Amino acid sequence: MKTYILKRFIALVPMLLGITFMVFVLMSLTPDDFLTPIRAQPDVDERYIERLEQEFGLDRGPIAQYLLWLGNIFPLHYDGEAERWWQRIGFQVNFGYSWTYRVEVTELLAQRIPATVLLSLSALAFAWCVAIPLGVLAAIYKDSIFDRLTSILAYAALSIPEFFLALIAVFFAAQTGWFPVGGFTSLDHEFMSFPARAADIAYHLILPAFVLGVGGIASLMRIMRSHFLDYLRAEFVTAARAKGVPEGWVMFRHVFRNAINPLISMLGFAFSGLLSGALLVENVMNYPGLGQLVFQAFLRQDQFVVMGAVVMSSVMLIIGNLLADILLAKADPRIRLH
Amino acid sequence: MAFLYPVNFSKRDSLMGIVMAAAVVLTGCGGKITLEREVHPIPEDADRSVSAPGKPGSVFVQSSPGAPNTFNKLVAEDAPSSEAIALLMDGLTRYDPVREEVVPGLARSWEISEDQKTFIFHLRRGVLWSDGHPFTAGDVVFTFQAIYDERYPNRGAYDLSVDGEPFEVEKIDEHTVRITTPEVFAPFLLYMSREILPRHKLIDAFEDGSLLRQWSIGTAQRTPREIIGTGPYRLRSFRVGERAVFEANPHYWRADEAGQRLPYTDFLVMTFVSDQNSAMARFANGETDVEAITPDNIIWVERTAERHDFTIHDRGPSTGTSFIWFNQHPGSDANGKPYVEPHKLAWFTDQRFRQAISHGIDRDGIIEGVLFNRGTPLWGPESPANTRWFNPDVKQYPLDLARSRELLREAGFDWDARGRLHDKEGNRVTFSLITNHENPIRTAMSMVFRENMQELGINVQVQFLDFGTVVTKIQSSFDYEAGMLGFTGGIDPSGGMSIYHSRGRLHQWHPSQEQPATEWEARIDELMLRQLKTLDFEERFAAWAEVQQIMSEQVPFIYLVTPNAYAGLKNRWNNVEIPTMGSVVWNIDEIWAP
Repeated sequence: MKTYILKRFIALVPMLLGITFMVFVLMSLTPDDFLTPIRAQPDVDERYIERLEQEFGLDRGPIAQYLLWLGNIFPLHYDGEAERWWQRIGFQVNFGYSWTYRVEVTELLAQRIPATVLLSLSALAFAWCVAIPLGVLAAIYKDSIFDRLTSILAYAALSIPEFFLALIAVFFAAQTGWFPVGGFTSLDHEFMSFPARAADIAYHLILPAFVLGVGGIASLMRIMRSHFLDYLRAEFVTAARAKGVPEGWVMFRHVFRNAINPLISMLGFAFSGLLSGALLVENVMNYPGLGQLVFQAFLRQDQFVVMGAVVMSSVMLIIGNLLADILLAKADPRIRLH
Repeated sequence: MAFLYPVNFSKRDSLMGIVMAAAVVLTGCGGKITLEREVHPIPEDADRSVSAPGKPGSVFVQSSPGAPNTFNKLVAEDAPSSEAIALLMDGLTRYDPVREEVVPGLARSWEISEDQKTFIFHLRRGVLWSDGHPFTAGDVVFTFQAIYDERYPNRGAYDLSVDGEPFEVEKIDEHTVRITTPEVFAPFLLYMSREILPRHKLIDAFEDGSLLRQWSIGTAQRTPREIIGTGPYRLRSFRVGERAVFEANPHYWRADEAGQRLPYTDFLVMTFVSDQNSAMARFANGETDVEAITPDNIIWVERTAERHDFTIHDRGPSTGTSFIWFNQHPGSDANGKPYVEPHKLAWFTDQRFRQAISHGIDRDGIIEGVLFNRGTPLWGPESPANTRWFNPDVKQYPLDLARSRELLREAGFDWDARGRLHDKEGNRVTFSLITNHENPIRTAMSMVFRENMQELGINVQVQFLDFGTVVTKIQSSFDYEAGMLGFTGGIDPSGGMSIYHSRGRLHQWHPSQEQPATEWEARIDELMLRQLKTLDFEERFAAWAEVQQIMSEQVPFIYLVTPNAYAGLKNRWNNVEIPTMGSVVWNIDEIWAP
């Protein structure tokens, strides 16, 4: 198991190199760069623009820029002293600083992470809490009108694009006034008592978490249903029934426990989308999370922020997949990892 | 299926009821939010506001399209940052957009030397920073030191210098500063409204090289009080992507005639929205106190005016310009291919051709069709909004197809049997026009232009591109024929050096010339330098007025229209004076609500 995890982490390095290089090339293919808006302003001195180009390395080719960036993020640093050199290697990841904000990229990302994690986790919890019971019921009452209806709704939910659902949600909130039209907190948030603040955040969370969770409900529910059906037909279920175990006991003790196993590994995949899955929803619903920051950084071509976010979500993705594998191995003793 | 039965509808409604009750509790329980103000003596040199004394209290809410990127003046490049910094800090002078003149700020008064290059500023005594530390000449000297420091590239270093040479700033005593410019520099006093930084707070960062990293949004989020200034407000809190809350600065140096310290408002809340449209939606919904409303949105915003008790004020023409120009660059690219085909270059450099095009544009049609009759035609570089610098005596080009045809004939053009225009060598007159697709007014105007040109037998292909691509084409690759863009107008003509001077980067029809290509461009260069190198308004106006005239005669830019500006403002605010240009609440410290 340990060597397996180690192998996966070593495989991370070429993967990250490839991903970051691709992103760099794609960004350098666009005709504009970070300084374009400044260039279009009449009252900016030309020498200032040249100075900034030098500072940001924009006067160099894309390959040189990439290598510079790579040199900066390389986590091992050595200060050049020969004596006891093995103690002089420092470990520090430096993603550089944002050109727009003049803030370390890591700090900028850290500012946004809590809101995004809160949103993703709420959406996840919502999706699981709704999908599992619905999937079980759909399997138990297979081919009933309930089953048909839930599958129609599931297909509908799967086919509505997230951003469109978000737009509908914003429209709904604006028309009815039942929910805030976006944002994370109310205008007078900081003047509230602590419980009121918590309630305020929860109230703002309802719509975005719903929108983000709906797509998940549909697929989870269908998976739950099919697994549940598989085990419903299993021989040990028939055996249990035959020996007179009560029906409810059969369903939840025997069928459900087995059917939920594969879903546990999906938690690992959910982990990978924790920070990057909410980009569309956040932007449409004006939710101040990572997605908003990254989207704006992309539009402005704030290179280091984009790169930092890309590295972070790639690492999350790979760790998520690894987690899924491990969970699966833990849940199912028949699976061995090499 | 359960939730589709009517029985369960009531359940859902009761859930909604709970949610709504929670919402009421959330917003309603606090009642009116007020600020316990610290009481400090008013400085001996406090500026006395002449507007009618008002009542302190109340909260002013505004939205900002985009959030500040920084609270550090040396880093700020964008409007939201500058706007936020202006609330927190002051300069030696201030600009009064209603009287259209520079008025005293942190400097109580100033003297100008004979040669107009040396200014002695007398600073107000007794002014304190928002942390209670006294403001002195050392802060002014430090600010310029920071601006000019090689380690900290910033716009100010280039704005506040003449031909690359910085101003000399000396402290005479604790409350007197002498600033000398290398040459006479016309916008000097205006530029002195640039915010002064606190030496005692930033000197360590200045010494250790981290000045540009100070006062970032991280600082604002963690320790908002660390960002100190002399402005009407201090920062109370900052939530990334959401809002900044400002509260009245108890050390502010302005007071009213009754001896009450300004500002009257306790809090100013700046909420960050994604774009102008959502800002307008919020205003129409009664959530904010002020908003700029664009002509195409007035009708629906106005519908809620009564319910939310606001008025939309007509501010007349806006300062922005829009124009079409032809690429007159005679050069060729690296492969020797000319940027503009030679026969087209011959049309574009012909003044009569450009004038004919201008006469062929139906500006009233654009105003009616694109701006819903809420616009003003433009004939020169200065919008009538800038009443101080606008020259009404420029050549105008009302829609006149007969005159247009006459000019084209004079220039050797002719029409074939099907009414298509040809030049004297028989080339069909056709060109492409680029503009950026992000601006809906521009894309609509380009379609009207295309139709207008069909009347003259000219075929125009319109291309919509990304703003970045347009900028690259007009500034470095030059591979286009005609373009349509606009500038947001400035207060002072000195801001237009890079547009009108032939060496300028944004001298778009032929940028960055070594030597002026034509006589009239040489004349404009001379006039632009003349207006920059004197402090005498009459002389400056004469020079700038002549530039406006030449621009309208020669039409390198074919000016189109400017949308009128409208400002929505809640009626509860008093002491509001809306200027023709700039911020509606420029005197935010003086306005109050009962």
